[in-house]
Amino acid sequence: MDTTAAITRSTRLTETRHGRIWRITAIARNAFREAVRDRVLYNLVLFVLLLTAASIFIGELSAGQERRVIVDLGLSAMLLFGMFIAIFVGVGLVYKEIERRTIYAVFSKPVGRGEFLVGKYLGLCLTLLVNVLVMAVGVSLALLYVSRGWDSLIPAIWPAVLLIYMELMLLTAVALLFSSFSSPALSALLTFLVFIIGHFSADLKILATSLGSTSARWLFTGLYYLLPNLANYSFITPAAHGHTPAPGFVFASALYALVYITVILAAATLIFSRRNFK
Amino acid sequence: MNNERLKTIMLGLVIVVGIACAALLVHWTDTLRPPVDPNVVDESLYLNGKMARRISLGFNGLAADWYWMRSLQYVGKKLINEPGDIQLDNLSQLNMKLLAPLLDTATTLDPEFIEPYEYGAVVLPAVDVQQAIQLTQKGIAANPNVWRLYHDLGYIYWRQGDYQKAGETYGRGARVPGAPPWMEAMKAKMAADGGSRATAREIYTRMYEQSSDEKVKDMAHRRLLQLDSLDQRDGLRKLFAAYQSRTGKCPNSWKELEPIFRSLRVPMDASGAPLDPSGAPYVLRAGACEVELDQTSKIPFK
Repeated sequence: MDTTAAITRSTRLTETRHGRIWRITAIARNAFREAVRDRVLYNLVLFVLLLTAASIFIGELSAGQERRVIVDLGLSAMLLFGMFIAIFVGVGLVYKEIERRTIYAVFSKPVGRGEFLVGKYLGLCLTLLVNVLVMAVGVSLALLYVSRGWDSLIPAIWPAVLLIYMELMLLTAVALLFSSFSSPALSALLTFLVFIIGHFSADLKILATSLGSTSARWLFTGLYYLLPNLANYSFITPAAHGHTPAPGFVFASALYALVYITVILAAATLIFSRRNFK
Repeated sequence: MNNERLKTIMLGLVIVVGIACAALLVHWTDTLRPPVDPNVVDESLYLNGKMARRISLGFNGLAADWYWMRSLQYVGKKLINEPGDIQLDNLSQLNMKLLAPLLDTATTLDPEFIEPYEYGAVVLPAVDVQQAIQLTQKGIAANPNVWRLYHDLGYIYWRQGDYQKAGETYGRGARVPGAPPWMEAMKAKMAADGGSRATAREIYTRMYEQSSDEKVKDMAHRRLLQLDSLDQRDGLRKLFAAYQSRTGKCPNSWKELEPIFRSLRVPMDASGAPLDPSGAPYVLRAGACEVELDQTSKIPFK
């Protein structure tokens, strides 16, 4: 079922229930189905192979540090694969609809452009959630295998997984923002740059404080606050040591992600609403 | 057979034969490749730890694992290329200039990664003792509550013969919450009897018990066997002295001492030679009242 058909069905519901949520849900569900149909989740096979190989061979290479390496490798692969999905699927979410001209059919129905964007965004977030959850279960199973039973690192990885998922949600929003006004190639490049700069945010702050000129200091301080601070979501290494983040830290990070995603989606909607498809 | 099927078979054949040819060519080029220049193998690292951490984009743990495994491979490769049995704590004859930077990078990427510090404390002193001390002190600064690192630093000072500093370090480690009582005992032992075999035995026993690295465990085990063997050889020399005072000459073969070994229940081989702790027979220097390890012995000679 394509987006138009899903919308047509949900429009009927809309007429009766007057729910914006129904329309967004229909688009999200369809975006998820589309991602599954596009074999996005096939990356899980690669992930499983990677973890299986690591579980069997890393023990010999790392001198007894296989548990730590499995957590590092598993969570890093989760972030890396998730980042590629967020970027490459995220930048095509809107573009594909325009390219196939299905967007005309979608907007001929009573669907707002903001609803369309949010629906697409949530659909990809759902795909990423499934991906991340399966991977986290995979890492837990690998730990069970190498420890020949319960491993104290298993509960420690889940808060790190949650933070990774938040980072991917942020990145998806950024990809969607760029794709709302730019070509897929450029959007992918820009999103990737945001991912890199987002992890350099601490350096931006140091740069701002160490610079002599006031204007440069203002510029870098501005960039520090403007760009997403993705370093807050890096908890892979502490997780490999069995550390868990404080609940307050996770809550603050979740709140930051929520606020930032809201801002980005609002900006994307603003740009997308002004876009002429003729 | 229709054309389409023939085409499929032909293409399949091209793929299979092509892969086989490529594999053969790789094998051939391997034989033609000139030997690797050791200076190129040991080329300095392009990235120092701080830079590697900065550009790791949140993957610093994984990068630390990579550098850790590289350190192990680096030492392993050098050991494989070296003929003879070399102890992990006595690698001074191998040119290992990259080991310290590799371990330093791993620990800068993840300062809580304890194993590289411990490995460095065992392997690095023979290569560059100052770098070994620096690395372990860096570990203590980053993980002041890990008492094992004080044990490692104390071990480095002990190997240097600096029993005062070793004792001080064990004392500092003993004050760390959760440190075992023997850390305090080690402090006293270093002050009273730093160079004795009893202290060495205590250190290697603790190292064997605490280390998670099989190579380090093996090294500590072999050092313990060496200490046992040194005690045994002292005992044998006493027997030689007693034999000499009784007969006026040193024994020319183990057979002459066999009845004594039997009465003492000393394990022997078929020729009557007593066995060292690794199971190899001791070698008697005929007429010299001296005993040596056999070439087949697993016990370190130095």
